[in-house]
Amino acid sequence: MRKVLEVILLLLLLVFTHAKGTRYSPPGKPALTRCRSPEKETFTCWWEPGSDGGLPTTYALYYRKESSDTVNECPDYRTAGENSCFFNKNDTSIWVNYNITVVATNALGRTFSDPVDIDVVYIVKPNPPEQVAVTVMEDKGWPFIRVSWEPPHKADTRSGWITLMYEIRVKLEEENDWETHLAGQQKMFNIFSLRSGGTYLVQVRCKPDHGFWSEWSSSSYVKVPDYFHREKSVWILITVFCAFIFLIVTWLLHMNSRSLKHFILPPVPGPKIKGFDKQLLKNGKSEEVFSALVVSDFPPKSSNYEDLLVEYLEVYIPEEQELMLEKSMDLDVSCLKSEGSTSDSDSGRGSCDSHTLLMHKCDGVKEGRERQAEEARRHQKDWKEEASTYSNVDSSPDMSSGRVKTWPSVFSPLPRYSSNQQGSLETAKQHYLSDSLFRPSSTSSCHTQPGHGATEALGPSYWECGLSNKQPHLLHPQGQAQRQLQAHSDDNISSIGRKPTPAGLPSPALRSTEYVEVQRVNEEDMVLLQPVSGRCGDVEGYPQVPHGEDYSKVKGVDGDNMLLLQREVREETGNCDTPSTVATTQKPTTCIHSAMPVQGEAVLGVNGYVDTATVFTLPTY
Amino acid sequence: MRAIKQGQWAVLLWPYLLITSIPLDCRDEQGGLSRCPSISQEKLLDRVIQHAELIYRVSEESCSLFEEMFIPFPLQLQRNQAGYPCITKALPIPSSKSEIQQISDKWLLHSVLMLVQSWIEPLVYLQTTMNRYDGVPDMLLNKTKWVSEKLMSLEQGVVVLIKKMLDEGMMTTTYNEQGLFQDDGQPEMLEYVMRDYTLLSCFKKDAHKMEILLKLLKCRQNDIHSCA
Repeated sequence: MRKVLEVILLLLLLVFTHAKGTRYSPPGKPALTRCRSPEKETFTCWWEPGSDGGLPTTYALYYRKESSDTVNECPDYRTAGENSCFFNKNDTSIWVNYNITVVATNALGRTFSDPVDIDVVYIVKPNPPEQVAVTVMEDKGWPFIRVSWEPPHKADTRSGWITLMYEIRVKLEEENDWETHLAGQQKMFNIFSLRSGGTYLVQVRCKPDHGFWSEWSSSSYVKVPDYFHREKSVWILITVFCAFIFLIVTWLLHMNSRSLKHFILPPVPGPKIKGFDKQLLKNGKSEEVFSALVVSDFPPKSSNYEDLLVEYLEVYIPEEQELMLEKSMDLDVSCLKSEGSTSDSDSGRGSCDSHTLLMHKCDGVKEGRERQAEEARRHQKDWKEEASTYSNVDSSPDMSSGRVKTWPSVFSPLPRYSSNQQGSLETAKQHYLSDSLFRPSSTSSCHTQPGHGATEALGPSYWECGLSNKQPHLLHPQGQAQRQLQAHSDDNISSIGRKPTPAGLPSPALRSTEYVEVQRVNEEDMVLLQPVSGRCGDVEGYPQVPHGEDYSKVKGVDGDNMLLLQREVREETGNCDTPSTVATTQKPTTCIHSAMPVQGEAVLGVNGYVDTATVFTLPTY
Repeated sequence: MRAIKQGQWAVLLWPYLLITSIPLDCRDEQGGLSRCPSISQEKLLDRVIQHAELIYRVSEESCSLFEEMFIPFPLQLQRNQAGYPCITKALPIPSSKSEIQQISDKWLLHSVLMLVQSWIEPLVYLQTTMNRYDGVPDMLLNKTKWVSEKLMSLEQGVVVLIKKMLDEGMMTTTYNEQGLFQDDGQPEMLEYVMRDYTLLSCFKKDAHKMEILLKLLKCRQNDIHSCA
């Protein structure tokens, strides 16, 4: 009966076993995961169990030291926890290789793990540092954090058994990035550059000189107090300053907005026709527009149309001079265009007649005084040359037509040089004697005249310069005039003499020619010339830039074939109306002064201009 | 990665060459002018310790390099398998902390000196055998050479230290009669490799021993700079 029962039980067991399948098996292979020593005096090994095969499995750790052959079992399975083996100080030898194996045993068998060789010295992983203290300290107003700690109490650094190196990491509470600092073997560390009012987390860890890093210590919190932002205040000051400057600049721009606009975007000049009314154009009535254009006072209704005509004094030029003239004309043709100032109020003057053609070199006016000096010298020469050949006023053929041409031949830039200035002065003197003008106006102007007339205008400038405060009314007092002229001519000559050396003399822009305006031709075939001067009343030493040439207006021609020239002053200050007479023949002329401005006078129906230079050529012997 | 690490160590090492250029042994007794400046005991000890630290680092690197290149993976975990014991096995250095700390200063220094002296010749030998391998990196050869040179200067330093600390005269480099490897016929390549690998490992361990012993010695001194 009993046997039957046993058999049945066995069968049941077997069936039971088979029913559940092959679940029971020898244990799986365990594996040693790691062994660590915290202080190089003890160590612990952990393993990972394999499958237990469904049966209760026991694990055992066996080790063998390097030098001996005996296999020992783990002395302590509990201290270090589950699946671990703890070797205490007595069982730990350093510099000795341990061969460790774990064995798993269950009812069906046992399984050995792979052996592992370890040396305690190489598996040191200390505990985290202890007593981490974080304090906020101050350094000249700037706070910093001082972190201090102690090594883990188990590690024996005092005797030198273990040498530890530390590392710190810091971060702000709300951020994710840590800032790590290596602290070496010291136990204290300072952290600078903190954010005011922030909360920081600090952690420390350590490592032996050969070994593994410990875990991070627990976080220590520290709050940095708010400190005065000296940096910020500086920035505030800078911002305020910049804003202030910005305001000023804006205001300046606003004030000068118009001129700036003109500077950046200059206005495009539009056509400005006098009398042209845009509104009329918009209205669409063309007749009105065009009628508005018509200037009422044009053409001038003056019956004395002679006033409008420009009269010229024709001067006879010998052949040589003509050649020279042509040459000079060629030279100066190009100059004409550049000479805007050559335009004068006279209309109808042909290019050939323009004195500027002949008198101005291309760069004559704009050049320095050397030029003037040269020209002055040349002119002096010319006069000397012209002593014999001077231009005559050819009154017969053209006088009737009222046109007189003047050829400023004297001032043609002949390339003849006279080294003897004195000789030219002598001749000039003669000329001046007859051709001098009286100038009742200020002396100052007169004195400056020679300065600016350094070129051909020796004569006319002499005229201008005249004799200050001398008797203005000398109509035909030739003798007296001559005397006076003589007296003054000396001055003038000397001043003329100075002219060729224009050092220090200003006004390079002076015209080299001066014109004598022909006022009219009287019945005796005399051309009344009127010197036009724009220079009277100039500031001493700095004569004005003449708009045009200096003209001598001809007042009349007297019976001796002398041109009465009248100088006219257009400025307020100067009142140098000094009429002069120019002899139509070879006779010297005298200065005639009339106090009346010729402009208002329509004595001669002709406003003729005579190049005063030619005047001086007239009185040749 | 390994190469970078080695590079880092190499960069660290070279400044230390300057340290060793100054001779540690100044012959003061032989009269006359001593050309080299004498060094204080603390500084000398510090320098000796620095030497030992460096030697250990370099030997560790060499060992890992060698292991990487020549030792097949399965054998890496099993050290001292081939049955080549460390040559310095015979040296009576205790292996537990308590025992070691009981060693006197004198004995510490002597132990260190013994260790150093016993490794000078094998390292020279190692240099020659290294060249036998194919594809030996220059870095490994350089390291080995460097270590052997530094070891000799370390020996000098320890001798001077002994003289200073213990007031003993000492003869340098008494070669150990034992421990010389001999070529047994024509062993296989693997034998060579394993033998050299064992040699390197043993040296690495002994370098660590030197370092620890010297540090223990240092921390025993009663001065401000001793270990905390």
